[in-house]
Amino acid sequence: MKEWNSGQIRIIEAFLAIFIIFSAVAISANLPAKSQNPANNNLASIGMQALLQLDSDGSLSAYIAAGNRSGLREALNLLLPAGVAFNLTVYDAQMRRIVMETVSNGDFSSQEVTLVKYVCTSRSPEFRCYVIYLYLAVAK
Amino acid sequence: MKTAKKFCAARSGQLLIVAAFAIAVLIASTSIYVCELITQRQNVEDGFSVELVLAVKTGLRNAAVSALANIAHGGQKTVLTENLDALADTYMRLYPQQICQIRYTLLNDDGYEDGIKLSWNDYGGLGVSSTYIPYILKVLAPTFNLTVNDAINITTTLKVHGFYTIGENETLRTVNLTCTVFNEKKPAQAKYIAIHYEDDSGVWIPVNNPSITDWGNGTYSLRFTVAVASDFVHVSVHVIDARNIFVAANVTCSQAG
Repeated sequence: MKEWNSGQIRIIEAFLAIFIIFSAVAISANLPAKSQNPANNNLASIGMQALLQLDSDGSLSAYIAAGNRSGLREALNLLLPAGVAFNLTVYDAQMRRIVMETVSNGDFSSQEVTLVKYVCTSRSPEFRCYVIYLYLAVAK
Repeated sequence: MKTAKKFCAARSGQLLIVAAFAIAVLIASTSIYVCELITQRQNVEDGFSVELVLAVKTGLRNAAVSALANIAHGGQKTVLTENLDALADTYMRLYPQQICQIRYTLLNDDGYEDGIKLSWNDYGGLGVSSTYIPYILKVLAPTFNLTVNDAINITTTLKVHGFYTIGENETLRTVNLTCTVFNEKKPAQAKYIAIHYEDDSGVWIPVNNPSITDWGNGTYSLRFTVAVASDFVHVSVHVIDARNIFVAANVTCSQAG
C-alpha cells in the first residue's frame, strides 16, 4: 500500500516538473517586445525626421545657402522635442566645412551623444549638395 | 553509501522538481535575451533603412526640381544627370561600404527627351515643364537588403483660356484671361506672371501693368488692353512657380460671343 502511494507521488512530481518546464516555454514564447527608451534609442530617428521635414519643402538648403543660422536654430528648436540639445555642422559634397558656424542650442553636456548624417540638396537652379552632421543629446 | 542511496531514492521527486526549475529558468532567460537582441537590432535597422530611403527620395526630388528650374530657364539638359550623379556620389562618399545605391534612367518617350519635357509652343493654351525619372534604390543592411522601385515626377502645368471684347474705340481690345497653375496636377501658386501679345507685324510685345487677380487656388484672372486690328489676339503667358520652374502657354483669343 505504501509503495503504491509513493509511486503515485512520483508520478505527480514528474507531472509537476513537466508542467514547470512547459510553463517556462509558454511564458517566454509570449514575451512582449520591450519598449525602447525613447530618450536615447529614438533620438537618431527624431533628428532624422526633423531634418526630413525641413528638407521636404527645400527650406533646409535655403537656410544654409542664406547663412541663416538663427532661422535654422529656431526651426530645429520647434521640430525637436523639448530637452533635446543639438549641434549641427554643415559640409559641402567634398566634406569641406561650410563657413557657416555650428548651429547649436547651447546646452550640450550629456555623455550620450547620437550622430545623424543627412545629405541635403538645394532646389534652386544653382544645385548644391550639403552633408549635415547633427549631434543630439538629452539635456541633463 | 547506503544512506546516500536511500536519500536519493527518497528525495528523487524533489530533485526532479529542482532540476525542472533550473531548466525553466535557463529557457526563460535565454528566450528573454534572444527576444531583446532581435527586437533592438531590427528596430534600429528598420528605422535607419526607412529613414534613409525617405532622405534619398527627398534628395532626388530636390535635385530634379533644381535641374528642371535650371533647364526651363535655358540651362543644358545635362544638368539633370549632373545633379543626380552629384547626389549619388555624395551618398557613396558618406557610406563608403556601399550601403546605398541609386540607379536611374532618363525617359525618352511620351514627349520626354533625356528625362525632360518642355512643351510651351502649343496654341491650345497648355504649357508643360516636366521631368520624369524612374529609379531603383538599393539599401544594403547587414541583415537584409531593401530595393525600392519608384519614379520622380516633377511637373508644372499652365492652362490658359480667354477672350477679348471691343470697346467704343474699335482698335482697342480688352483681353480677359484665366490662368491655372498646377504642380503635379495639384493647384499651385505662381511667383511671377508675365504676358506678351503678338502685334499686327508679328512681333511679341510685353504687356505693361496688366490687372492680375489671384483667387488663391492657383487660378489667376488677367485683364489688359491691346491695340491690334486682326480678328484674333495671340497671347503668351509666362509663369514662374514657387519652385522657380518656368512654364509658358500660348492661346489665341477670339471676340466674346
